[in-house]
Amino acid sequence: MANRDIPEINAGSMADIAFLLLLFFLVTTTMDKDQAYVRSIPKKIEIPPEDLPDVQKRNILAIKANSQNQLMVRNVVFSDPDMISDFILRFYQTSEIKNKPEENFPLYSTATAGLCDLRMAELDAKIEEADKVGASDLVKFFSSALEEWNKKKKAIKLYGKTELREIDKQAHIRIEVQEATAYSIFTQIHNEIEEAIVELRNTKCKELFGEPYTLVKQRYNQDADARDKEVLDLIEILYPARIVEVTPKN
Amino acid sequence: MSKFRKVEERSAPAMNTASLPDIVFMLLFFFMVATTSKETDPTVKYTAPEGSRTEDLTPYKQRSEIDFLYLGAPRNPNRASAFKFGYALSLDNVVQATPDGLYSTNAVSRWKKDKFDQKPARMIAPIEAVITCVKADQSAPTGLVFDIRKQLQDIDALTIAYSVKDKGVNKDSE
Repeated sequence: MANRDIPEINAGSMADIAFLLLLFFLVTTTMDKDQAYVRSIPKKIEIPPEDLPDVQKRNILAIKANSQNQLMVRNVVFSDPDMISDFILRFYQTSEIKNKPEENFPLYSTATAGLCDLRMAELDAKIEEADKVGASDLVKFFSSALEEWNKKKKAIKLYGKTELREIDKQAHIRIEVQEATAYSIFTQIHNEIEEAIVELRNTKCKELFGEPYTLVKQRYNQDADARDKEVLDLIEILYPARIVEVTPKN
Repeated sequence: MSKFRKVEERSAPAMNTASLPDIVFMLLFFFMVATTSKETDPTVKYTAPEGSRTEDLTPYKQRSEIDFLYLGAPRNPNRASAFKFGYALSLDNVVQATPDGLYSTNAVSRWKKDKFDQKPARMIAPIEAVITCVKADQSAPTGLVFDIRKQLQDIDALTIAYSVKDKGVNKDSE
């Protein structure tokens, strides 16, 4: 009696149990990743400044959409929204090699390492002066400007050329929608902007570093690498994405 | 005496199914690793618009540097008239009137602040960098999205993401 073998457990239903688990996970999970256009919102200004700087017409690319979901770029109706990205490409590329003032597109200026040093020295002096007076807002403002020039200097070094052509500081894309404009039209405008800018950046990044911008960015998002950050900074200085979303009026 | 035996007499040997659970478990683990579970089932109806060249939000989700809010039509169509333009917000499965509705003053900014306070202590991102992802219905009026945006601006939550469904991109262009 005592040395009877322990009977084996029947494992035939194990597969059924596993299938049940598998089906449960199949049903409750989703395969699609969350995809979106990431944008930043400008900081709130408590007291709006009275004298706003003049923005030249050539530096504005206004994309408008009305409540009937019709699109207009620079006051020309676009029946085919896919054409918008081509227009944005022209906005960036017209004066890229050589300034063409006769065209109604933003002009480029040239930055050199020497210019960066000069501007940084100027800002250093300004920070010191503001620090003496105790104007912390000014110190903050000048410091961020200093950081910007420092970034530019690094970018020029990485670029490997003596000078760097950059688009006008004021050049921007402006999205003007109405309250009743469908959200899909709004995202379509973002889609067109993204398409154009990613294409510009990818081409440039491939030419300089042999891999597309999107790949570098993806890698940087996963684990922040200092070298990748420099590459991204350079590409973003060459093709800045300045997007202004205008709040619709009631 | 016949040279041939009757074939029918012998039954086929039972197949050994001992490794079947292993195979199924392997499938199971694949799906568990490859998929993400739905965080919430939104309490409003929404269909995402399509777009290409989007950014993948997975890294932000892994670092919990992102919050989702939904904007869509309420499940009960009779209630639509209670909301501005017939669209309601869903903040963590609580249906709210759209931002400037009568009963939900600053609902979005209060929700976002609460969310930020509940973040794990190891998160170092400031509130400016924590993304708020707006998942809006494709025919929702953009004015409501701007209402949300304004509330986020008020509390310095300065990164917004407009959610779309990626329709894929022509790989030749890369």
